[in-house]
Amino acid sequence: MILQIALLSGLVIFSVLAILSKDLLKSAISLAIASLLLGIIFFRMSAPYAGVFEISVVAGLITVLFILTIALTKAEGDVREAKLAKLVFPLFFVIFILIDVFVMKSLLQKIPALPETAEQGTFGDVLWKQRTFDLVGQLAVILAGVFSVLALFRKRDKNE
Amino acid sequence: MGFAAGLIFVGVYCLLAMKNVIKLFIGIEVISKGVSLALLAGGFVRKNTLLAQSLVITFIVVEVSLVATALAIIINIYKHTKSLDIRKLTKLKG
Repeated sequence: MILQIALLSGLVIFSVLAILSKDLLKSAISLAIASLLLGIIFFRMSAPYAGVFEISVVAGLITVLFILTIALTKAEGDVREAKLAKLVFPLFFVIFILIDVFVMKSLLQKIPALPETAEQGTFGDVLWKQRTFDLVGQLAVILAGVFSVLALFRKRDKNE
Repeated sequence: MGFAAGLIFVGVYCLLAMKNVIKLFIGIEVISKGVSLALLAGGFVRKNTLLAQSLVITFIVVEVSLVATALAIIINIYKHTKSLDIRKLTKLKG
């Protein structure tokens, strides 16, 4: 339980670092560490497939894409962020955490527990039989992503 | 669930306060982490981890194609405006 809370706190702290850090590269690496921690949390919640996807795809592939974009744009010091936004953030964050803890405590006591339905079969059964339509959607989304990237990077004709 | 709400708050704050396009996108990523954590925590409480896992995997696949497209758009924005500042994106000219 303590380890779980430590992992979750680490996840939130690294996410905060990712948005507050001035250097974009450090932000991307903090985001990768946050993904890694989320993957470990998934493993501990007995969801190994989601954990593997989170670590390999989100912590690996997306970080590489981010670093590639940062290297291609090379405009790190270019954008001036408002200093007030960073100064005010801790205040808002503490207020939000207080509200969060208050709401969660009240919810834990009042909402009746839902009946638990134990699952049967394996992960493969659930993914391929129950959620078949999701897989079609996933394929459509991947194809849409590929075509959109191709469209965005196509070379323009001289007449355009 | 409380931690997932915290992550979503951090992401929304980033979307509201930051000016760099890549930072905004990092905010979207943080929100997506919060959402996937909430999905799996819901499944874990109901002992429906398998279904929650399949939903999280679908979500991650969608997220990857979103990231690829959005980063391509960001590179195109940089080519057009020579800057990553969201305030310079005031003209909707191609």
